[in-house]
Amino acid sequence: MEFPAALFPSYFGAGPPQEEGGPAPLAGWGEHGQVLEGGPGRRQVQPAFVPRRGATGERWEAADAAAVPVLLPRAGCWIPSPAPQDILYRSGLCKKLRAGKSRAILDFTRQLGHFFVDHPEDAFGSLGRLLHKNFYLGNSKLQRPARSSTIRMTALVEDIDRLEARRGCPRQHLASRLRWFSHLCRDWLFEVPLGLLADCLHEELMQQWSNLLFDDSLTGGALAWLPPEDRGTPVGCLVHPGGQAMNHLYFQDVVLEELPRTRGAPAQFELSGRIQQVAAARVDGQDFVGVRSDYHCGVWRLLGKRGAVPTPLQVIHTDVPASCLTVSPHLPGELSVCTQSGTVYLWSVETGLQQLRHDPQTMFFRDHSPWRWSDFTAHPRVLSCADRTGLQCLDARAPKRCHFDLFKVGEEAGCQQGERVVLPMYLGRAHPSQYLVTTQFSVYVLDERLPLVPVLKWAHMMKAPPLFAHLMPGKPGRSHKVLLGASRTQELLLLQYRDSFWGVSSGGSQSACQLAGTPQKLHSIAGCLQHLPTQLPHRHHLLQQRLTAPAAGLAATLQEDGPHKSMLIFQLSEAGDVFCQRLTHNAAQPPAPPSRDEATTAPGSSPLFEYRRWLRALSRACKEPPGHTWSPSLSQRRLFTRKDLEGPVGPSSLQRQMRQRLRQTMKEGGLIQHWAPLALQPPPLPQALEPAGGLDPLSARLTAAWAGDWEQWWEERTSFSVAKRQQALRERRRRQKRAQGRRSLSASFTSSLTYQSELSELSDTGPSVLSPGRPPLLSQEASPPAGSPLVHSPATSAAPDEALLSSQSLRCRGIPKERRKTLRDYLSVWAEGPPEPPEPLGSQASQLCIPSSQSQLSSASQPRRKRPRMGF
Amino acid sequence: SSNEHKLNFRKSKEACLSFIQDALLQKEWKRAAEFLTCYIESLEKDYSREHIGPSEMIWRTGAEILWHHSQSSMKEFNCFMEQMKTLGVKRYLKVCLEHVFHLLCNGQIDEAYQNLSLAESWRFGEQTAIQDKEMKLIQAYRGLLDYYSWSKQKNILLENSEDGFSDSAVEQEMHGYFRKAAVNLKEIIKIPGVWDIFVKCYVDLLEFYGDHNEARQVLNEYAYNSKFPANPNAHVYLYQFLKRQREPKKSLISALKILHDIVPSHELMIDFNTMLQKSKKRKKRRLGLEVIFAALDYAGWKENVKAWSCLARQVKQIVISEKHLDWIKQEWNSRKDWWPAFHFSRYLAKRNWRENKSLSYEKALVAGILLGKGCKYFKYVSHQGCKAQLKRFRMLKKFVNRHNPVYLRISG
Repeated sequence: MEFPAALFPSYFGAGPPQEEGGPAPLAGWGEHGQVLEGGPGRRQVQPAFVPRRGATGERWEAADAAAVPVLLPRAGCWIPSPAPQDILYRSGLCKKLRAGKSRAILDFTRQLGHFFVDHPEDAFGSLGRLLHKNFYLGNSKLQRPARSSTIRMTALVEDIDRLEARRGCPRQHLASRLRWFSHLCRDWLFEVPLGLLADCLHEELMQQWSNLLFDDSLTGGALAWLPPEDRGTPVGCLVHPGGQAMNHLYFQDVVLEELPRTRGAPAQFELSGRIQQVAAARVDGQDFVGVRSDYHCGVWRLLGKRGAVPTPLQVIHTDVPASCLTVSPHLPGELSVCTQSGTVYLWSVETGLQQLRHDPQTMFFRDHSPWRWSDFTAHPRVLSCADRTGLQCLDARAPKRCHFDLFKVGEEAGCQQGERVVLPMYLGRAHPSQYLVTTQFSVYVLDERLPLVPVLKWAHMMKAPPLFAHLMPGKPGRSHKVLLGASRTQELLLLQYRDSFWGVSSGGSQSACQLAGTPQKLHSIAGCLQHLPTQLPHRHHLLQQRLTAPAAGLAATLQEDGPHKSMLIFQLSEAGDVFCQRLTHNAAQPPAPPSRDEATTAPGSSPLFEYRRWLRALSRACKEPPGHTWSPSLSQRRLFTRKDLEGPVGPSSLQRQMRQRLRQTMKEGGLIQHWAPLALQPPPLPQALEPAGGLDPLSARLTAAWAGDWEQWWEERTSFSVAKRQQALRERRRRQKRAQGRRSLSASFTSSLTYQSELSELSDTGPSVLSPGRPPLLSQEASPPAGSPLVHSPATSAAPDEALLSSQSLRCRGIPKERRKTLRDYLSVWAEGPPEPPEPLGSQASQLCIPSSQSQLSSASQPRRKRPRMGF
Repeated sequence: SSNEHKLNFRKSKEACLSFIQDALLQKEWKRAAEFLTCYIESLEKDYSREHIGPSEMIWRTGAEILWHHSQSSMKEFNCFMEQMKTLGVKRYLKVCLEHVFHLLCNGQIDEAYQNLSLAESWRFGEQTAIQDKEMKLIQAYRGLLDYYSWSKQKNILLENSEDGFSDSAVEQEMHGYFRKAAVNLKEIIKIPGVWDIFVKCYVDLLEFYGDHNEARQVLNEYAYNSKFPANPNAHVYLYQFLKRQREPKKSLISALKILHDIVPSHELMIDFNTMLQKSKKRKKRRLGLEVIFAALDYAGWKENVKAWSCLARQVKQIVISEKHLDWIKQEWNSRKDWWPAFHFSRYLAKRNWRENKSLSYEKALVAGILLGKGCKYFKYVSHQGCKAQLKRFRMLKKFVNRHNPVYLRISG
């Protein structure tokens, strides 16, 4: 490729950036930048000028009103990653404090508390066992001999409860007893020294928080499109991650038609880590696909023919998380890998790893980010390495000696203060020596023959930094298209540029690079929400949560079918959904631009069909075992050893009776209101109380649910209305007493029972009314659907067996007396049902923040325990 | 309260901006224009301290809309830009420059010139560093337009002199343009930057008036001053100048040697190689081999027939003379682990044969010598060539077979 004979004028300075930084809305509009003589003007008459930005580009128009799903959701619901409310401190006081300043406060104590509750064995194991005899949890006073060696903990626990209740109170004083206790045992009670544990947790919390603000592990994107062969049938292959933990790699054949259609079942590989990046390149007619997870990178090969089975070639393991994996477009089986420790490797499937650089420091100035990137250049032996401060090129044959600076965040490229490199990409398929660099503010095109000075620069104005980019090279003389994608906001932007134009000033040879046309915003996945059929409110909420999940990848392809040119753009979300949109090329010069109301506001019939199909599959895939997400589950193993729980051989008569009743009720499809033995007939249901408003409770509840403030309704109902009801009941009893005067003892017994059962009905029937399809709590032992190994089975049955809890049976299991009550109280709490149904995933998601070595994945599906298919 | 009012006002401003942005990104110019007219109100109460204020946003979005709006005219655009110039003192020069660019791109050279002259005479207090730069650019572009006028007069003059009459008025005018252009162009090219067109025009002026020393100095400064970016064009211009001056081969070679050092993949490397191959000095011929090998390392040269034939010719010469085989050996050493896959795979043999027979011929020759007659590329191409009964491929096969021992010496 020839070097442009004349470049656009620009100043060149050195040193740190001068321009004050900050997000600048609209900074990319209305500017030509510079002009250069060129274009097909006749020199003698008048010079003709072309602008750096603002030349006409191709017209691409969206074929549909929104993106359409390509793949049907697979079984197993997606687990959302932690949200800000999971790790931030939230209380009234804090909100007030925060209103002034925008600093987020991490909820450190809650997370530490979660850890102690969820991993007591890890937190207090050995001392807990040692001291177990010296701590007394009962209510009665201690006897003389025991008093000298035993502490009564009940008061302490009460103090803690009180503290919890007063949380957020500005006049909060620690109980002296608690202070005394913590002074006494802070240093020795914990299995892991508290300071160390706190440091680790704090570090993890900070990490999670910074990930929420900007997660760079997804850089590059986890979606790849392997285009069809030049002269073959239009069948390409979509490589994407899936599964609950995004640890399954799929190679799905896709037929390109009006809307892309999947063909056959995908080839599938199970990996032992979340897939962060999928990179692909075609060399010598073969596709090489590199896959990066935190600690493993792998490479697959696909022969050109579609339908061929992908062959895994090699896997490497890194001690530090890898931050980059790119595939060489020049040599088969070559990749480059970077780790967060600042090491860059050239990885050849034949010869193994070659370390090119190891430098934990950033290149041009100090920046704390451990993120590193590397890509290939026009010379197969020269690799670029990047960190947040810029890019350097290294010769792999002598990496220490031969290198040059390609891009620096500084005055050289006219950067702003605070600007940082987000994603570099080699544009080799469009022009062998050009490079794309995106920062949070701008995109740059660089030519490695003229390092440091960008040949093109444009402020992209995206709300989130562009983590994904995709190049679609244009034929000679036509513009190249670049797609930029952001993760959190799902933004997609289409840019066009020309690497050269016909210049006169250059004597008729190639001239400089210019931006063509205006940037264009494309549909995001979330945009299709308004076109979906109307949903029930809670379904709508779940759907919204799923569709607005951060984007995780981007791929695109140009399709030329005679005069018709179209562009297909695939977008992957963190939930594993792949959506697609089609743009068509409008060759005619702009007639009147179509107004917003025409055509583009409603999707056609075939997208609508696709949406319905997708929704159906989604609801099928997410039909979870009841109680899986709605009720907390509890493992009894934590409390007792198996020996403790072993009952007398064979079911007792009571148990048999219970089972029979259960079976019968199931057959009838009825509900079990109360777990009393059959002999005690459940008391007749009391008359429904008319609430003040006049609506019956069910209607009120449904009305609230439809209006969307069901949560509030529930809250009111559980706290305020219980009190009210009690009041009303008392009132009624008094009236009854007054009216009837004297009653038999049994009658008064019944009436008090009524009161009790009324309360229990309140808590029992709550969830079952909410979704009639779900059996009540007792049938929790249902197994997860067969044939979906990824669905993690709910923790062992949570339903406490009433018989099991009778003091008799507890005694015969050797459970100490003072623990029996605690146990019963404990289990009864769980038996009451879900306390906070509208936020089912909250508690689960917040558990993810606990600093365990396996962090997120361990709680999601424990993929590490599974046997990997290929040592990955 | 007023604080709340400010907050609400800011919120609605932001909302309006995002509507404008949305419309622009979807190319709905009319809708954007409607929102923009609402946004103009924000100028009245400008409390913002962001570094891009509302006046700049109005300028940017307004200009963008007027570029694309189906009903806008140049007159309206000019009017809008004039208003924008008065909106912000700090951006006056920037807006002027952009206005001029738009006029230039629409072929309104005279209007652009007038605007540049006006902007040049603008003074407002002390200039900031950025304004200083913008002013220099304005002067440089005016110099450039003066240069074009000069060039036009020059052509008229040349035509006239061909016809046999001279016109002193035209000549006077031409010299006037020269002076104006030279002063401004000379200024900007002193400052570090990429000034390709300005340098070219200035050198053209100087050469016309016979000031070759000054021209040489300017080009040397542009190419070798370390404060300037490593611009390959600077070296190319110097080389072209030296060639025009009919300088000795030696200085041409040294100019290209430096270009080779900074951009080994520059297209002038073919000229450089040809020049070096013709040289009688061994060292130069050696350098020539290095140059062509280095150029072919780059992906952009993979299918360059000229380059491959240069390499094939030189390698063939060396093999026939059987002298300096060590040169090839040395070059090959650092490439033998990746050139076979990069250049000489079976896939490429098939493709090159299908798409470009002469490319495959040159490459097969090089492959046969470097990798021996067993090489996949050579085998495929020579087989196909012989099958197609092409004479030169048969010769190629014979040649490689005869010189097969060379391969052992190179790779050994």
